[in-house]
Amino acid sequence: MLGGAASAFASLSPQPAAAVLKLNVTEGNVQPVPIAIPDFVGVGLDPATGRNVSQIIASNLRRSGLFAPIDQAAYIEKIVTIDTLPRFPDWRQINAQALVTGRITQSDARLKAEFRLWDVFAGQQLRGEQYNTTADNWRRIAHIISDAIYERITGDKGYFDTRIVFVDESGPKERRIKRLALMDQDGANVRYLTRGDDLVLTPRFSSAADTITYMSYREGDPKVYLMNIETGQREIVSNFPGMTFSPRFSPDGQRVIFSLQRGGSSNLFVMDLRSKATMRLTDTQVIDTAPSYSPDGTRISFESDRGGKQQIYVMAATGGEAQRISFGEGAYSTPVWSPRGDYIAFTKQTEGKFAIGIMRADGSGERILTEGYHNEGPTWAPNGRVIMFFRDPGGNAGPMLYTVDVTGRNEQILKTPSYASDPAWSPLLQ
Amino acid sequence: MRTAYTISAIGHAAVLLWSVWSLAAKPLPVSSNEGLPVDLVTASDFSNITAGSKAAPKTDTAKPLVEKVAEAKPVEDPTAKVVEKKEVQAAREPPPAPETKPAEAAPDKKQAEKPPDPIAEALAKDEAKKQEPKKAEAKPPIPPKKPAPPAPKFDPKQVAALLDKREATRLAAAGETLNNAPSLGVSNGAAAQLSLSELDALRARLAQLWTVPAGAKDPQELVVLIRIKLKRDGTLAAPPMVLTSGKTPLFIAARDSAVRALFRGQPYDMLKPEHYEQWKDVEITFDPRDMIRG
Repeated sequence: MLGGAASAFASLSPQPAAAVLKLNVTEGNVQPVPIAIPDFVGVGLDPATGRNVSQIIASNLRRSGLFAPIDQAAYIEKIVTIDTLPRFPDWRQINAQALVTGRITQSDARLKAEFRLWDVFAGQQLRGEQYNTTADNWRRIAHIISDAIYERITGDKGYFDTRIVFVDESGPKERRIKRLALMDQDGANVRYLTRGDDLVLTPRFSSAADTITYMSYREGDPKVYLMNIETGQREIVSNFPGMTFSPRFSPDGQRVIFSLQRGGSSNLFVMDLRSKATMRLTDTQVIDTAPSYSPDGTRISFESDRGGKQQIYVMAATGGEAQRISFGEGAYSTPVWSPRGDYIAFTKQTEGKFAIGIMRADGSGERILTEGYHNEGPTWAPNGRVIMFFRDPGGNAGPMLYTVDVTGRNEQILKTPSYASDPAWSPLLQ
Repeated sequence: MRTAYTISAIGHAAVLLWSVWSLAAKPLPVSSNEGLPVDLVTASDFSNITAGSKAAPKTDTAKPLVEKVAEAKPVEDPTAKVVEKKEVQAAREPPPAPETKPAEAAPDKKQAEKPPDPIAEALAKDEAKKQEPKKAEAKPPIPPKKPAPPAPKFDPKQVAALLDKREATRLAAAGETLNNAPSLGVSNGAAAQLSLSELDALRARLAQLWTVPAGAKDPQELVVLIRIKLKRDGTLAAPPMVLTSGKTPLFIAARDSAVRALFRGQPYDMLKPEHYEQWKDVEITFDPRDMIRG
């Protein structure tokens, strides 16, 4: 308190006459921004589409935890056009800080979507955009508009126009059927990529979001595969003797890094997809696995038990000496480098408790985001702000997907048709 | 063997001699640290520093600021009544109102009884007591000796009359002689100053309304400097002027959030109208770096 008074003095500095009073505000809140999203005006189409678009935008923004959409029942002004200024006093009265108005126009099979984002208290437009696409792409338009709003208000790029690839699990616990599945990040448009004959694990996206790599026990030993999402065509990455695990793409999409297990040890290898040339990165008698590239492609983080227990190490992408960066109590695994490059997410196991946490690339600033039984497998949203993971409560229930903000707040469950595990977040769709 | 011994002896002697030369203790340099005079000031005292002039001659003993001549204090003969006073004190103690000031024998009690209870003082005024200067920093020369009354006479009417009188003297520091010499103060201090509580309330309101873009990667670009001009009723005279510039989306978001907080905070009714000249022009720095460390 005295410190507060002292720091208040530091900023008081009364000046001789006609000078400006100076004030420092160093504390604020992290509350969600109240935003009003009235139904988009629909021209020449099914009136429900305008409402559907606004509802997708509202639920995207609400799920991010940074916005609080205001119930439409409270709105005073009715928006019928987006070409005139809204009546800002009406919106100020319901405490909306931002307002989104939009219009969808349909002609033939084409859709034109326009929106304007308004700052209610300053009384001005913050952003306005127009998009043209095919009529069946209306969900993607809603996600793109959500991204634009998110970026303008928070300063971070959005993550709503993305997809999740995961392992869908169904059936009784003893005989689970595992299929690769793809869906929009809000749980819509679920599509199955494999049939469930083979056991599939750890699917990951390439930087182009049209190819995934995954592990499959298709012909005996687990192997790493590539699959083109659009065509469904798949190929085996390489027919190594031994078991290949936890594949990941390099940021430029040209290489796949994976771990190969032979005998009792597992080591890291990287393969160039065009030349098929393979390079060994580690040569140890221990288990080195779960590699992940830094976003600039120069370093990798991986999990190794060369020090006795599983810990996280960072190494140059071409191999060489590895530095250990995890030093807390417990076993660290599944390191994943954030697309922003500032954090590495991991799973940490201490005495039966499983936590998802983040730490900086030098190992400092370790922070646990969520704890419980049994959390695993973090994956980053492309803006480096949200992490998705899966939680298996044990017993007869199966695993489900959850998201949590990088500040540890706003943990949400994701609705999937059945149990789900091993999620991977795509980059923003082009 | 002889030669070996000699060589060894010479060698040892050489090493010892060399060590005496080169390992001689050097005096430890002591850097002179200038002593820093430190004075602890409470927040209210700081706000209430009266205007002073640095050129004012310093008196060796700080004379209490006296603006009104108080009634003359009777000169006491401390020794004369000590004995009987003590007895009376003992009998009286502990009085709820310290109407009798104990003798010098108990100096700490003196300190404890300042500021003197007005009613007690008023009562004691019957016996022609003096008033002491009101200001806390003034040191009363000698606390007045009051002959111990046999029993305290509490006369409400007298008290009322006496209280009214005392009201007047409170506004001016009373003492023996007029002393208008200004004491050392701050050159631009004015006791009727925009108080800390007003600024704190303003800061608290902005902190409540300002949403910080959390989770940012580069905190430096989130610092926003804004200047506002306010009208007398506490509303903005014009849209806030943003003084820092930046192009990144993060800066734009931080800037908008700060501007929005300033719009929403109207009217700034915690700022008192009589201090308008001091708060009509405010430059605010929104700095979230402390909030998003780690």
